[in-house]
Amino acid sequence: MQRLYVGGLSHTITQKDLKDRFGKFGQVEDVELRTRKDDEGVPYKTFSYININITDADLKKCMTVLNKSKWKGGTLQIETAKESFLHRLAEERQTAEQQRLLPPAPEDQKQKMLDSLSKAGVENFTMKAAVPGTEVPGHEDWVVSKFGRVLPVLQLKCQKGSRARTLKYDPSKYSHNIRKLDRPSADQSASDLPTPVSQLTWELQGGDDDISKKRRGEFPAYEPPKRKKIQKDAVNSLKAEGKPRLKRSVHSVALTEAPQVTNGHKPPSTVRPAQMKGPPLTLSDIDSDDEIHRIVAVQSSSHDALQQDEDKLEVVGLDYLVTPGRARQQQKGGHGDEEENDYDSADTDELLASRKPPPPPPPPRSSSPPPQERPTLTAGNISGNNTDRKTKTKKKSKAGEETDAEEPSTQKRRDAGKLSSQKQSKKTKVLPVVKPSSSESESDDDDEEEEESADSSSDSDYEAMFSNVTRLEISLADLQKLAEEFQDTSETTAPSSLSVSERETKPPKKGTTPEEILAALMEDDSSEEEQQSKKKKKKKRKADATTQLLPAFKGTKALNEGSETEEGQKEEEEGEGTEVKQLKVDHKATSSKMNGQKHTETESSEDEEDEEEEEEEPKKKEAVVKNMAEKAESVSSSSSDEEEEEEEEEQEKKGKVFKNMAKKAQKESSSSSDEDEEEEEVPKANQTVLTSKAAAASSSSSSSEEDEDEILPAKDAVKAAPPPAPHSESSEEEEEEEEEKQAPLRVPLGAKEEKERQRKANIRRLAAVQQRQKETEENKKLIQGALANLDAPAAGAGKHIVFGSDDDEEADSDDEQQTTSEIKTPKKTLFQDSQSENEAPGHKNTTTKEKKLSGTHLFGGSEEEEDADEEEDGSRFDIRPEFEGRAGHKLMELQSRFGKDERFKMDSRFLERIEDKEGESEKKKSGTEEEEALEEERKKSLSILQSVLGSSQHTSSSSKTTSKAKTFRDVSALHYDPSREEHAAFETKIEDTKKESKAARRKKREEAQKLPEVSKEIYYDVSGDLKAVFGQTKEEEEEEEEEEEAVAEKEETNWDQEEDKKKEEAGEQVEQPTLESSLLSADRGAEKEEASGFKFSFFGDDAETGSGETAEYKIESIQAPKLSWQQDPRFHDSSSDEEEEKKGQEEEEKTQSNVIAKIEETPAKTGLFFFYPEDSRLTEGPKLFCRSSQLEEQKEQWEERRTELRQEYRKKHKDARRKLKTSVKS
Amino acid sequence: MRPLTEEETKVMFEKLSKYIGDNIKLLVDRPDGSYCFRLHNERVYYMSEKILKLATNISRDKLVSVGTCFGKFTKSIKFRLHITALDFLAPYAKFKVWVKPGQEQSFLYGNHVLKSGLGRITENTMQYQGVVVYSMTDVPLGFGVAAKTTQECRRVDPMSIVVFHQADVGEFIRNEDTLT
Repeated sequence: MQRLYVGGLSHTITQKDLKDRFGKFGQVEDVELRTRKDDEGVPYKTFSYININITDADLKKCMTVLNKSKWKGGTLQIETAKESFLHRLAEERQTAEQQRLLPPAPEDQKQKMLDSLSKAGVENFTMKAAVPGTEVPGHEDWVVSKFGRVLPVLQLKCQKGSRARTLKYDPSKYSHNIRKLDRPSADQSASDLPTPVSQLTWELQGGDDDISKKRRGEFPAYEPPKRKKIQKDAVNSLKAEGKPRLKRSVHSVALTEAPQVTNGHKPPSTVRPAQMKGPPLTLSDIDSDDEIHRIVAVQSSSHDALQQDEDKLEVVGLDYLVTPGRARQQQKGGHGDEEENDYDSADTDELLASRKPPPPPPPPRSSSPPPQERPTLTAGNISGNNTDRKTKTKKKSKAGEETDAEEPSTQKRRDAGKLSSQKQSKKTKVLPVVKPSSSESESDDDDEEEEESADSSSDSDYEAMFSNVTRLEISLADLQKLAEEFQDTSETTAPSSLSVSERETKPPKKGTTPEEILAALMEDDSSEEEQQSKKKKKKKRKADATTQLLPAFKGTKALNEGSETEEGQKEEEEGEGTEVKQLKVDHKATSSKMNGQKHTETESSEDEEDEEEEEEEPKKKEAVVKNMAEKAESVSSSSSDEEEEEEEEEQEKKGKVFKNMAKKAQKESSSSSDEDEEEEEVPKANQTVLTSKAAAASSSSSSSEEDEDEILPAKDAVKAAPPPAPHSESSEEEEEEEEEKQAPLRVPLGAKEEKERQRKANIRRLAAVQQRQKETEENKKLIQGALANLDAPAAGAGKHIVFGSDDDEEADSDDEQQTTSEIKTPKKTLFQDSQSENEAPGHKNTTTKEKKLSGTHLFGGSEEEEDADEEEDGSRFDIRPEFEGRAGHKLMELQSRFGKDERFKMDSRFLERIEDKEGESEKKKSGTEEEEALEEERKKSLSILQSVLGSSQHTSSSSKTTSKAKTFRDVSALHYDPSREEHAAFETKIEDTKKESKAARRKKREEAQKLPEVSKEIYYDVSGDLKAVFGQTKEEEEEEEEEEEAVAEKEETNWDQEEDKKKEEAGEQVEQPTLESSLLSADRGAEKEEASGFKFSFFGDDAETGSGETAEYKIESIQAPKLSWQQDPRFHDSSSDEEEEKKGQEEEEKTQSNVIAKIEETPAKTGLFFFYPEDSRLTEGPKLFCRSSQLEEQKEQWEERRTELRQEYRKKHKDARRKLKTSVKS
Repeated sequence: MRPLTEEETKVMFEKLSKYIGDNIKLLVDRPDGSYCFRLHNERVYYMSEKILKLATNISRDKLVSVGTCFGKFTKSIKFRLHITALDFLAPYAKFKVWVKPGQEQSFLYGNHVLKSGLGRITENTMQYQGVVVYSMTDVPLGFGVAAKTTQECRRVDPMSIVVFHQADVGEFIRNEDTLT
């Protein structure tokens, strides 16, 4: 089938026409007629396509016949046309279908390709010995690349912008980076063979880590690199490689310079090679993630290192400030604050340390007794500080907790005590109430008995803590108010105390709130205590004893005393019998005893309280509070307020205790105790004049009774013993008597006086309290020492121990007395003269004990005794002048330090010395030899330093001055002080020498230049004459003459002689011996005379002659001026004249001799003197005075010269200027 | 223990002056008290007068060390600085060299400082000038001697030595037994 195009048809033609026309040649299947029309629809062209089945021959025929033939008004134009697209489409589809039906074998194609390639010389896609880039012959799309590998040229479609184009990718052009993999050797296993490309892994499954993700083309969002991490990694990796790395990452990180910091850890040298090698990161590598990490780290680090390497070197000025402080801070910060940043192994310890919260300051385990510190507290403080204490104490161990509970109670007590002692509350310290807490706590919690001992120790801790507490100041008025409130609110002290306690914050302790304790103490103390005591006597005793060691008794005692005295007074006033008093006292004693020992009966306590209430309010309160405190504090001997009492009791106790340990019957014990007492008292008796054995016996008996109740281990007793007191057990009778005596005296005293007294007593008491503290300290020490021996068995050795303890106590007491020097002496005297304190304490103790026994009749006496005590106390508690002021305080400290041993007692002498020393030292520290030596040394070293450094002397001077006066001086401000002698030392000898040398030089120069002195008168006279003379004669001569004079004035006396010789030698000159010439010579001689001191000659031997001649000349010279110079003789003549003169005046012989003497010298002289025979000067001289050339010529010459000179001058001037400028600049 | 002789003092001062120049006088002449140098066991100790007095109570053969050891005299009467003097000399040092963190360790192991590890240097440092070596955090690390001037340091190659090692704080560990 053919498709023909027929053009050039007329518009009117139809399909049928065409069909007919072409039907002749073949079968027309289809006619497609088309008409082209212009805009108006007028057809201007018509053509058609005809599908016709026609043979080629027919087609030719048809073409020849019809082509360019005219038909119906048009010229036919026939051409073969392309197939109709529809037809073609159909055909294509058909073929496609056909192809689908039988697909061509790919193998064949590949094979074909391979074959064709192989035909072109390609084997297995490699073409040997082919230059890369050559096309494979016969295959346009294949190209030979590196290693003879045949690769296909790729046509890549590239959509760039809107238009698409194809890129030709010729692999041969990019094949230079192809690398040949190692051929698997024969011995390699199959697994090592390279996997065919088709089997390569094109996808990595799994692996959530960064690298695998990155391999898959998933990149995480960009994050700023974490330097530290990288560092660490790097470090780790490096470590893994076994390279020692620097561990100081922390500091470096903290540093200011960021880049360096980050880079810090890789020494570039080591890193570099690694980087250059660059571990091959091909896919085929079997890199574990770790390895890859490492490599990455290394690379990055190395990169950093490189960067760092490029870091420019910093050069720093001399004034660069190094701030080690900052660095240290940083370090510290690194350890403390920024610990997280880096943990170096080296730092771990520090880190740990810093991590820990700073450990609470270790509670001082000092054995100092609580009372010491307590007194410092004021009531206000305690309440305010409770909370603080709580927080602190919480951290403590169980024992500490217990103390917590107890402490508040103690505080309250103290508060109460404070309140009661209104007057001195501010300044002075509260009465040291000893350890009420522990005993109370015991009473409350039976279970905690064992822990009591621990408590006591912990108490000290508490006190230590308390020492930090600030004080609240409470005015006296406030205190008074409080006290009054006390009174009003409650008859019994308990409620008042409660009220007081309520104000204070309480530690949240178990069940034992301070109030409870207080209440218990106040109300049920007797019963409770009794029960408790019965239950656990022994343990308690121990604990109590230990607690008791902390004595606070003085204050309480004083209070008691006060109250008692009051009572006594009242009683006296009332006119009550001594018995009544005794009873009262008994009550008190019993109460106190009960408190202490827990045998007290409720009645007694009540009685006591009542009585006290009756008494003055504040006092009462004090007393009550004190009693309470007493109860609380000391079980065994607490009843005794005073130290002495304690001592005695303790002593007794010891004895008794031992007995008790033996568990004898009361009576037995008493008897034994009596014996013991006696024994004990023997030493006492020595000291104290007034000791009665009866009293001792009674006391002992009472004590023995007590002992039954208190089963104190001997050691405890020993510990308790320390409170030192002068122990003289005065007989009760005596005491009674004394008291009786005192009592009547007192009666007359008015109430006011009483009050005053009380107040005084209070003051004393407070003073005593202070002392007490020290004593307690000492006691504690003693106790500690004694504790070491605790384990010793009681029974057999008991006596020994007792004695020892007694002695100790005594010694202690002595020591105390000594240490508190003032107090002691009065005490003793008191003791001896009037049974004073000792008696009173003894009485108390005895009385208290007797109460138990029901011995009442002693007590009235005891009261009175107490009064006496008061007085004694007054004297005792006066503050010694020694201890006043700052120095006194120092002394006190010193004494307290060495309190134990008399040998170490520091008295005022020491103080003085110290002061002296201080003064001396202050005055001149450098006085001592050593220091001088040091000073010397330093000077020396400084001088050496200067020699080394060549530095100025100024510094040394400064240093010296500074060293002398040890005050700091600004070095820069130091100046050389010429007025100081020391400074003279470095007064630059060098300069001096220089100066000297200069001066010397100058002198020399001057000397050299100096003309010999000429006496002016003579000179002028002569000169005038000479002028006249020479002016007349010859100017030149004169000039010469004068010059010569000037130059050679030094010439010697021999001048004449020379002349003489000259003349003689050169006799040619005509000489006329004239007077005038003689004159001249005389002048000369005068000149010479003046210069006589100065010896100079052209000839060595002149000297001898000189002097004599001068003398002669002198005479002449006097004559000379009278003569006139008339003639104008020639210079030579004058000399000749001289000679003549001499000849004339002097004898010939002389000249002869001279001549003779100088004959030998003549040959030398001839050449040396001024004028010679035929001297050129003489001949030429005159020529100078006449013009040798014409004036014109001279002028010309001179002008020439002048110009030259001028130029020269200018030049020089310029140079000089330039020099000046440069010098100024520089 | 005895004071230094003049010659010894001179030798020592010459050495010290290499590091701190005329600041030696600040050591000799201190406002806070008198300090002195003492020779003991061929070592020079620097101590305050107070300590000196205390030390007199100790017999010579029993005395191991007193004050701060500044260095020791060799048999040939040369003075060798010890690292213990660092605390006293570092504050007064005239010329300083800062070592990069990477080379700190190397220096602390007793090696010289290479150019690559040189972080900073005082200007106008002369060759063979005694320097105090600091870390970049201004922590003094030891003593050294400049092998190159500052100018030379700028252009030498990174592996060349710029500071000779003299003493470093690593000796506190390495020479613990001999440092007194």
